[in-house]
Amino acid sequence: MSTLTLTRRRGLAAAGWLGPVARRLGSGVAVLWAAATAAYVALLLAPGDTVDVLIGDGLDTPERRAQIIAEWGLDRSALQQYGDYLIRLLQGDLGHSYILQRGVGDVLSSQIGPTVRLALAAAVFGVALALVLALVTAGRRSWTNGLAGLSELVAVSVPPFLIGILLLAVFSFSLGWFPVSGDRGSAALVLPAAALGLQIAGVLGQVLREGLERALEEPFAVTARSRGITEWRLVTRHALRHALLPAVTLTGWFTGVLLGGAIVVEAVFGRPGLGQVTVSAVTGKDMPVVMAIVLLSALVYVTVSTVVDLAYLAIDPRLRRSR
Amino acid sequence: MKVRWGALTLTAVLALAACGAETEAPTAAAGGGGGGSLVWAVETQPITFNPQLWGQNKARLLVHNQFDSLVARGKDGEFLPWLAKSWEVSKDGLTYTLHLRDDVTFHDGEKFDAASVKANFDQFLAPGYNPAVAAVQLRNFGRAEVAGPHTLKITLKAPDGLFLDFLSSPYAGQISPKSLRNAKDLKAGGVDVVGTGPFVLDRFTPGQEVHYKRNPDYGWPPAGSAHQGPAHLAEVTYRFLPEAAVRVGALTSGQVQVIEGVPATEIALIKGDPRLKLETSLNSGSAFSYYFNQSHPPFDDKRVREAFRDAVDVDAVLNSVYQGTAERAWSIIGQGSPQLYDASLENTFGNDPQRAARLLDEAGWDKRDAEGYRVKDGRRLTVRAVNSAPFVRDRRDILAQAIQAAVKQSAGIDFQVKLVDQGTAQKAYDDNQYDVFENSRGDTDAGAALNLILPKGAAINRTHFADAGLDRLLTEASASSDAAERKELYAKVQKLVADEALLLPLYVPADQIAYSASVTGLTFEPVSGTPNSAYDIRTGT
Repeated sequence: MSTLTLTRRRGLAAAGWLGPVARRLGSGVAVLWAAATAAYVALLLAPGDTVDVLIGDGLDTPERRAQIIAEWGLDRSALQQYGDYLIRLLQGDLGHSYILQRGVGDVLSSQIGPTVRLALAAAVFGVALALVLALVTAGRRSWTNGLAGLSELVAVSVPPFLIGILLLAVFSFSLGWFPVSGDRGSAALVLPAAALGLQIAGVLGQVLREGLERALEEPFAVTARSRGITEWRLVTRHALRHALLPAVTLTGWFTGVLLGGAIVVEAVFGRPGLGQVTVSAVTGKDMPVVMAIVLLSALVYVTVSTVVDLAYLAIDPRLRRSR
Repeated sequence: MKVRWGALTLTAVLALAACGAETEAPTAAAGGGGGGSLVWAVETQPITFNPQLWGQNKARLLVHNQFDSLVARGKDGEFLPWLAKSWEVSKDGLTYTLHLRDDVTFHDGEKFDAASVKANFDQFLAPGYNPAVAAVQLRNFGRAEVAGPHTLKITLKAPDGLFLDFLSSPYAGQISPKSLRNAKDLKAGGVDVVGTGPFVLDRFTPGQEVHYKRNPDYGWPPAGSAHQGPAHLAEVTYRFLPEAAVRVGALTSGQVQVIEGVPATEIALIKGDPRLKLETSLNSGSAFSYYFNQSHPPFDDKRVREAFRDAVDVDAVLNSVYQGTAERAWSIIGQGSPQLYDASLENTFGNDPQRAARLLDEAGWDKRDAEGYRVKDGRRLTVRAVNSAPFVRDRRDILAQAIQAAVKQSAGIDFQVKLVDQGTAQKAYDDNQYDVFENSRGDTDAGAALNLILPKGAAINRTHFADAGLDRLLTEASASSDAAERKELYAKVQKLVADEALLLPLYVPADQIAYSASVTGLTFEPVSGTPNSAYDIRTGT
């Protein structure tokens, strides 16, 4: 094979990637724009005058109204305000929190670290637990299987709030193994990560086990068994790959669980993070913060789903060619 | 190969998870030679640590750790020296001369003197700093002048009986002039907005905790303090734990020594534990009440307002919702403001279903529909409350359900409660689409609360009640600084409000703290009824 052919092949492969990646990035930007617009329109349509909302239960005088209108440029047309808002967004300016009296970018960046740590720890915990449960119980028609199924069901149906309180009652209040609150080292991360990760483990465990059991009945499993492979090796080396595909599809869903659950879990455990910022922004109608959080969640979703889709492309070359 | 990649990713994620975690010296629970440390779990994280922008009653217990006000309050509400040693008020009530302490320094080394107090007053006049205070509490403020190194002369535009109350409030917490000029974020407060208080705020982790260390040079506590000199505690941490059950668990397991905000359901548990103590204090200000919008039917008819008030057995309702832990209110002013409360109103109304039924019959609501509600001209006797969900606390939603059942059963009134977002609630108020408005205010001087609720066109006069005589009484009472005269004037106000059946007083908001028996010196601020700063607190023996 000549060098020329090799180069051409590589070029072709790169071209095969280029289209889907560009399309993905393009639609990601479109989704972000749609989210920013939707957040803006929601603000316009929300009942009550913006000035009233910003005043809340506070002092209501003509001077204060004038001040708020000037500060927010509320005397201009909705379209003008929307344009300004988009331009500011493009410049990376997320605005100023009305209640916290600080820049929104500043507020979010100071709180994002603890939430990311919590979400990652919960994801690792959830995925690991699901893998262990599925690998240990799949294909064995025994009481362990039933027990695993039952605990998965419980983990899925009990809200993380209650799981959190229960974990605290047992492991913090009674046994004193873990501290109740804060972002102070790995010990304090264990219980919140478990409270948040259990839900993921529940759903993922079920999906994985069903996938494994389906794979174990496929013809290739019979062939492998006839070659004398051990059951454990069959499950881990062959069946798991098949079972992982539907599980990967769930990534989007569990990003949502992590983001939504973090709000509750952070409140229960008194942890810093985006959760508390979100709750106080929503209850206080702190619109710049709410909109920034909407955008941030959209960005996370877009990134996750882009990465997942690209991962599919990497796994399965047929998808590249068909586009 | 693949297995190794998986393991690598896992390690990377774990490392990432661990790397951000701060290492921190363990905080000892019991007091040692250094004076000990204390961890206190609180419900609410303050929006700001700047005392002059303070607005949350629940954040009050933090303010006076870091900042001292000019004037203090005593047990009977009297004004006592603090950073101001003494003061004189001119005969016409327009000039206040403050004689300030000369031994006080701010945490950043700045000197406290007349010039620094003037700088603090002038700050309120800066546009956009605190427009609400500038327009309400300081509406009569003229100017501050330095009359000597430690003498400040304040001139008012009109006499104001609430001005001393302002000087004793967190708003009069003195901030170092250097931080007023240079603080990174003056409005949010925090580490670089410093005061003269017994503790120095040295660490704040949003969503987690705020940490104070003792100010070793402190020697100017308010008159009436249990001790002099620096605080007993070497350090104190306030942890933000919004979940009540978690706060109680943290206390019973010894992870914190004090908690604020004890839910009614946990009070029996804490009382039954010999290692723990519980204390309750009524808050000052207006009682939690249902205000009747009398600008349209059905509450434009005084008989219907009285009937609603008579239809509820308030004691029974409070008992079932708060299990005997709530103090029943009888007037627009709560018993937490004994200086102004009119006790003669007690037991003069309420829990009289027969009278309620008679009044409604007289008012023409004498028929019943299929569901048992009263009807007049084909319209059901419906009253609506629209509440903004973020402001609902103290299980007030459950309380509303209990009252709903009570007025239905005893008087056939259809009481509808809607929990909505702030914007929707505001729209309902603006459009006058509500009949019941629920509110309580924690102002140290209840008169300030009434000025917002009662006068014609006042900011939250959502009853739309207007009476020139009442407005005159309120103006007179606000201008006067004579305690006896004010009490008499406010008694008239309360009587008038009760006679008009303008509201149904329900309970007096209170603060509860529970703490480990080894902690002593926990007290409440005498006038506001909120927990005091940590200045007098000791741990251990």
